[in-house]
Amino acid sequence: MNHTLNITANNEASVVERLLQVTRYRGYQLAGLELTPMAEKAGLSITLTVSSDKPIHLLTSQLHKLYDVRDLQLASADIAALRA
Amino acid sequence: MNGAELVLKVLQQQGVDTIFGYPGGAIMPIYDAIYQSPVKHYLCRHEQGGAFSAIGYARSSGKVGVCLATSGPGATNLITSLADAMLDSVPLVAITGQVSQAVMGTDAFQEIDVLGLSLSVTKHSFMVRSADELAATLNQAFAIARSGRPGPVLVDIPKDVQLAVAGKLDVAAEPQSRALNTSLAQSAQARQLIANAKKPMAYIGGGVHMAGAMPQLQDFLAQCQMPSVTTLKGMGSVAKDNPNYLGMLGMHGTQAANLAVQQCDLLICLGARFDDRVTGNLKKFAPNAKVIHVDIDPAEINKVRFAEVSFLGDMRQILPAIASTTDCSDWLAHCSSLKQQHGWRYDHPGERIYAPLMLKQLSERMPDNSVVCCDVGQHQMWVAQHMRFSHPRNHLSSGGLGTMGFGLPAAIGAKLARPQDTVIAVSGDGSFMMNVQELGTIKRFRLPVKIVIIDNQRLGMVKQWQQLFFNERYSETDLSDNPDFVALAAAFAIPGHSVTRKDEVESALEAMFTWPGPYLLHVRIDEKDNVWPLVPPGAANEDMIMETN
Ligand SMILES: Cc1ncc(C[n+]2csc(CCOP(=O)(O)OP(=O)(O)O)c2C)c(N)n1
Ligand SMILES: [Mg+2]
Repeated sequence: MNHTLNITANNEASVVERLLQVTRYRGYQLAGLELTPMAEKAGLSITLTVSSDKPIHLLTSQLHKLYDVRDLQLASADIAALRA
Repeated sequence: MNGAELVLKVLQQQGVDTIFGYPGGAIMPIYDAIYQSPVKHYLCRHEQGGAFSAIGYARSSGKVGVCLATSGPGATNLITSLADAMLDSVPLVAITGQVSQAVMGTDAFQEIDVLGLSLSVTKHSFMVRSADELAATLNQAFAIARSGRPGPVLVDIPKDVQLAVAGKLDVAAEPQSRALNTSLAQSAQARQLIANAKKPMAYIGGGVHMAGAMPQLQDFLAQCQMPSVTTLKGMGSVAKDNPNYLGMLGMHGTQAANLAVQQCDLLICLGARFDDRVTGNLKKFAPNAKVIHVDIDPAEINKVRFAEVSFLGDMRQILPAIASTTDCSDWLAHCSSLKQQHGWRYDHPGERIYAPLMLKQLSERMPDNSVVCCDVGQHQMWVAQHMRFSHPRNHLSSGGLGTMGFGLPAAIGAKLARPQDTVIAVSGDGSFMMNVQELGTIKRFRLPVKIVIIDNQRLGMVKQWQQLFFNERYSETDLSDNPDFVALAAAFAIPGHSVTRKDEVESALEAMFTWPGPYLLHVRIDEKDNVWPLVPPGAANEDMIMETN
């Protein structure tokens, strides 16, 4: 199943690697990645789509711990699916 | 002031007076600053050893450990120790020199992508691009290392940043922190679960003492009147005189601990993480228990075992909020009879030394508040089973990573952190050789560390598995051509003694403790002795195998 995460992160050179390293290590496949730098070093807006049979909280709880991750939200479609 | 001098000033501001490391080209400016700094540097003989000493320092004192290495091979030598600190949640700041930014990315001499290497073995890592960022970055590194669930942080500093003019040091900027609010919303539910439980059990990990919650834990156990077990890292958390403490659980846990946990109906997990060495077959672990999980790390809740009720945050607030009286005297009596029935036995035929008995003698003889640093293997499990500790800071064992070579350098760090306390490294003949070069550090600083080598002339733990699970095919586990360990110590001006018979043990321990300086006691044991009980891989914790031969 695919999950989409909307992430706001510090615009650090290593931040994407960190996200991808945790995603791979925790056993989720990358299904999409979009990066948009925000105005004037304000940060990086990232849309990360992953697929896995594992519950998504096992990934989000780990990504949340990354120092450079400021905010992380499951896309609303995902939340609706989780509630269903 | 240049960047390098500023680094040392920030360390001082952070209250650091002891650092461990090894110099090299890309970190020479920092070593030049060390030359005149009041911060005391201890030269290790391998960066892995230096970082383990910093870990031993941190774990025995509760402070942040600091280690230094040069770029390239210096930094790669740190990786194992960073991983060790990561898995055991040890606050550590590692500072590495990096080649100058002008040549970065060109495969320059001793250039390696240390930041890239650090990703999976640190809590966070920084590359400092300008001297202006140095102080804030270092302060942030300390804040990250100690906050929440502690861990290692690496700061990579290019040589040109170390040499750049750094201006003056401002008062440390308040580091950003992500304080975790302690929510007690579910405490009524937890109290209810505890009050209604017939067979409650506290399962205590390293997180309790790291949260500074040892007093709250004793109160909690006294008020709830429930039995308790600990993990390898939680050992020493429960007061020695608590009659309802059942020992360590897990693969080499006590029978009483494993049986009681399997039978409990409520498991209260405090600062622990349901590691596979603890749970055995996860599906069969404490099958009838509801779980209350208390931790500081949100990612541990519901990671491998579902918790009916969970709490995140400060253990010191949570424990009193969930304490509740129970009425389970039958259960307590049952647990206590399990403990009686399955007590350790120290009778052992023959004259040869029986390691469990020797360690029990060592435990009884060592001064109060001694620190024991273990290596990895059978001897490590025997230490956990047969020695008693009054505080988890007195038992340093590489738990999560299980790193051979941990014990000797960790003991060096512990001795420097707590010079007034006795420090004992208990090592195996295999593990000792993995950081044996640190004898040089002991020699130089005349550190009165007591070293006990339990020599079975084998990689005993691996040999035990070969015997049990690989048809006695002893592939590459024979060490019968070990060096003469006493002579090896003598080469570093460390006196020592070898024993082979039970009746020699008491006087040998006496001699070791009486000697004022470092000392090596070589204890030769029978290679056939194995660690029992053992929960075989894939089995439930009640299916322990006991002595077979
Ligand atoms: C660095 C490292 N390499 C390999 C291992 C795998 N291993 C675990 S225990 C062990 C044997 C340890 O031998 P020794 O130190 O003599 O202890 P004993 O089990 O004999 O008491 C080995 C090789 C490890 N834990 N760490
Ligand atoms: Mg051995």
